[in-house]
Amino acid sequence: MNSELPTRYEIRTERASARSAPSRYGAVFLMFARNSLVRDMTFRANFIIEVISALSWMSMYLGFYILIFEYTPSIGAGTGWGKYQFFAFLATTLFVNSIVEAFFMPNTEELSELIRSGGLDFALLKPIDTQFLVSLQRVDWSSLANFLFAACLLGYSLLKIGHVPGWPQLLLYPLYVGCGVGMLYSLMITLAATSIWLGRNQTLYDFWFYITNFSRYPREIYSGTYGTPLNIAFTYILPVLLVVNVPAWLMVRPLNAEEWSLAVYALVATAACLALSRWVFGRALLSYRSASS
Amino acid sequence: MAIIEIERLAKSYRVYQKKEGLLASVGGLFRRQHREVQAVRDIDLHVEAGEFVAFLGPNGAGKTTTLKLLSGVITPTRGMARVMGHVPWERSNAYRRRFALVMGQKNQLWWDLPAQESFRLHQQIYGIEAAEFERVRDELTSLLDVRSLLGQPVRELSLGERMKMELIAALLHSPEVLFLDEPTIGLDVIAQHNIQTFLRHYQETRGITILLTSHYMKDVAALCRRVVIIARGRIVYDGSLSGIIDQFSGHKVVTLVFPTEVVPTGLERFGEVISHQAPRVKLKVDRNGIGELLSAILAEHTIEDVSVEDPPLEEVIAEVFSSIAKEPAPV
Repeated sequence: MNSELPTRYEIRTERASARSAPSRYGAVFLMFARNSLVRDMTFRANFIIEVISALSWMSMYLGFYILIFEYTPSIGAGTGWGKYQFFAFLATTLFVNSIVEAFFMPNTEELSELIRSGGLDFALLKPIDTQFLVSLQRVDWSSLANFLFAACLLGYSLLKIGHVPGWPQLLLYPLYVGCGVGMLYSLMITLAATSIWLGRNQTLYDFWFYITNFSRYPREIYSGTYGTPLNIAFTYILPVLLVVNVPAWLMVRPLNAEEWSLAVYALVATAACLALSRWVFGRALLSYRSASS
Repeated sequence: MAIIEIERLAKSYRVYQKKEGLLASVGGLFRRQHREVQAVRDIDLHVEAGEFVAFLGPNGAGKTTTLKLLSGVITPTRGMARVMGHVPWERSNAYRRRFALVMGQKNQLWWDLPAQESFRLHQQIYGIEAAEFERVRDELTSLLDVRSLLGQPVRELSLGERMKMELIAALLHSPEVLFLDEPTIGLDVIAQHNIQTFLRHYQETRGITILLTSHYMKDVAALCRRVVIIARGRIVYDGSLSGIIDQFSGHKVVTLVFPTEVVPTGLERFGEVISHQAPRVKLKVDRNGIGELLSAILAEHTIEDVSVEDPPLEEVIAEVFSSIAKEPAPV
């Protein structure tokens, strides 16, 4: 055999690496999204019910706050959260939640089951980042109905406020929505990865609900004897109060000095959360025991 | 040169010992007892490129654990393994592009979608060029005769058809090493035969290295020249299939056919009578004294026909497994 000829493996790896990693990961993600859509369309009645159910819940949720604003002009005196400012805040909450629920929630929920049943074996065999694979392999398209709902609500609220965001705000807003998604995803994947050590972890959804409950309200309401410690804890330790507040501030009003510093901190916190969750996930995978077949 | 090198590889698990009853369960919240299960105990194994090796052993022997260690799914407690020069549990993408694992009891295809959608996903994950992907897919679907089923949701396929699709998914990237964990489990004889034929053809034409675990002796006899018996986490035999009988079976089966329906009495003194259907009698006799024994029988009786055979392989292996199970557990 001519030793100068490349082996079959060398030819293949050359071909594989010829395509850049972002482009390959992008193509894989598109395939995940496509396959999920094909599957959702197979059960179209279920898909339609899910969309109607999500939109109905959102309408009731919005209706509840419309009712509250019948009795008060703003959430807290002097906080700047009038009716339409708060609706812009709600829209931001919906943006973040719908993205998390569409792309990450079904996967992190399934991860616990994959770990318990040994189904994670197949993810570990693939020549692709395992965290990427288990985090994005299913897309819940019906959750994106809330994304459209949020876009309408934000547009309507800004129209009512009479505020036209400038270019910097329009560019920073998606960045900070992305940061919010990143922070919540980090919490989720960290919690799901602990299933490798715990064997079973079914509290994911409960934990998600508790945490998003805190992030769903303006940071200004966390004040006083009980509020201040929560404010500090959920801003600096588990920064869920920055998830919605920072992008919402950017959209409805000019930021003051403290808010700008928190906006910078949100970037650092997002990077730290993602790095920490990646470390936990990697450590957990080393302890993976699979399940007997 | 060995494509798979295993040296003193060991894997143990800490398992929670739950006691019976409610009080013990509540007590377990505060204080738990664990025991160490040694799934694989310091095994050494070298496999050359192009070999088709069978792993045999009773349930819980450590066969699947060994395959999972070699696939990098789990990490060992100690020891070293290299497959094509890679340490499996480092989980490098370069290694993961070069091997595949098929598990008969688990499935990796999207349940609600046709297999062709999962194949396309594999194409993207492994970065297979479109033309090569289509060529390999078409070749495999023709060989396994499932081309017409590509558009059918996986959940609507029979078990045998599903296993064929699993094999195709695993082979799309043309792996150089293939680990098969009970690929024919639960399949009917026709499906088993089809998969055996395919695997034999694929291995012969591609020259890839295959490690197979199976409880079906027909799989092993049809496919593998080399057999490794693993029991209680240790390798107790490594050699040819026929060598198992030589090493582990101390007897042969002698069939005597008498000229009349009346079978003489007193045959017990030549060996254990294992079947008696006049005029045919089967005796289980010590394999070292066959010559003398036959001379003695022929001197005393008129025999129309005689044959000497090895005992069935399944029987010998069952005896091996059973004797290992009776031995005290190694420390």
